[in-house]
Amino acid sequence: MCPAFSLWVSWHVSMLTKEGDMAARLLLRSAFRAASTCRAAPVPALTRGMAAGGIPTDEEQATGLEKAIMKAMKEGADPYSMMKPKEYAGSKADPHLVPSITNKRIVGCVCEEDNTAVVWFWLHQGDAQRCPSCGSHYKLVAHQLPH
Amino acid sequence: MAHQAHAYHMVDPSPWPLTGAVAALLMTSGLAIWFHFHSTTLMGLGMALLLLTMYQWWRDIIREGTFQGHHTPPVQKGLRYGMILFITSEVFFFLGFFWAFYHSSLAPTPELGGCWPPTGITPLDPFEVPLLNTAVLLASGVTVTWAHHSIMEGERKQAIQSLALTILLGFYFTFLQALEYYEAPFTIADGVYGSTFFVATGFHGLHVIIGSMFLAICLLRQIQYHFTSEHHFGFEAAAWYWHFVDVVWLFLYISIYWWGS
Repeated sequence: MCPAFSLWVSWHVSMLTKEGDMAARLLLRSAFRAASTCRAAPVPALTRGMAAGGIPTDEEQATGLEKAIMKAMKEGADPYSMMKPKEYAGSKADPHLVPSITNKRIVGCVCEEDNTAVVWFWLHQGDAQRCPSCGSHYKLVAHQLPH
Repeated sequence: MAHQAHAYHMVDPSPWPLTGAVAALLMTSGLAIWFHFHSTTLMGLGMALLLLTMYQWWRDIIREGTFQGHHTPPVQKGLRYGMILFITSEVFFFLGFFWAFYHSSLAPTPELGGCWPPTGITPLDPFEVPLLNTAVLLASGVTVTWAHHSIMEGERKQAIQSLALTILLGFYFTFLQALEYYEAPFTIADGVYGSTFFVATGFHGLHVIIGSMFLAICLLRQIQYHFTSEHHFGFEAAAWYWHFVDVVWLFLYISIYWWGS
C-alpha cells in the first residue's frame, strides 16, 4: 500500500477514536516499513470504451410526444404549434391562415401593435372572415396532427 | 398518442401533492408535540410520509419523462425555469443567514467584548480542514462538469466514473465536516458566534447531503440508460444544484471561516 495513502487513511482513523489513534500509529509504522518494498500501483489508463460510447441518443431512445415532435421538427413541420405563427399581410390576397383541428377556432385580433383590447371572434370553415374592428382577413385551414 | 394539439404536459391526477401537504402538517404539528409533550411519533410519521411522497412523486416524473416521452422541448424549458427559480429561492434563504452573521460580526456588542471572534471563542483554523473542504468541493465541481461532458459525448463509462467520483467527494466533505463539528471547541449555544456558525454551516451541510442524494439518483439513472446525449435534464438540474452548494460554501469559507477568525 502506498505510504501516501496510508498517511491519508491513518489521519482519518486517528481523528475518529482514541483506539483509532493507536491503530493509526501502528498502520503508519508498518506502511513506512513497507514503503521500501512498495511498488507504485499501475494507474488504469482512461480509454474511450466501445466505439459507440454507450450512451443512447434521442434518435434511438426518444418516445411518445417527444419523439413525434423530434421527427416532425426534422422535416421542418410544426404540428404542435411550438413556433410563432407565420406572418401574413392579412389582405384578401394574403389572409392570415389559421390552422385548426376542427371546423372552427377562436381568433383574437390585436388590430394595432400594443392594443390592449383584443377583438375575439369564432373563425369558421369556408370563406375568409374579416376582423370586425380592423378588417384583416382570416381563413381557417385544416391542421393534421401526427398519429 | 396525443389527442392534444399542443406540446405541453397535462399531468394525470395524482395523490402526491395531497400526501405532501399532509406530511407538512404532521411534521409541523409533530414538532410542536415534541417540544411540549416529549413524543416524536407524530413528527416521525410526518417524515416517513414526506419520504414516501418524494420517492413516489419523483418516480412518477421519471416515468412520465423518460418512459412516456411527455418532456417535450417546451416542457423541458418549464422544468429549467422551475429549477432556476427554486435555486434562486435557496440563494435568498442563505442570504438571510449571511445577513445575520454580518449584522453581529461587523459591529460586535460590548457583551461579546466588542471584538470578533467574541471573547472566549477559539475559531477553527481556516487553513486546516476548512481549506481541505474547499478543495474537495471545488474538485467535485470539476468532476461533475466532467460527467456532464461525458454524457453529452456519449461516453458511458466515463460518465459513470466521474459522477461516482463527484458523489464520493460529496460524502468526503460531509465526513470531514462531521469530524469538525465533533471536535469544535465551541457549540451552537456559545452566543451569537455559535448560532451564526452552526446554523449557516449546518444548513449548508444539509444541502450537501441533499445534493449528494440527487446526484446519487442521477448515477442510478445513468447506469440504467435513462439519459440520452441530448436529453438529460435531471442530471443538469442536479449539477446546477451542486454548483450552487459549492458557491455557498465558498461564501461561507471566505466570510465565516476566514474573515470571521
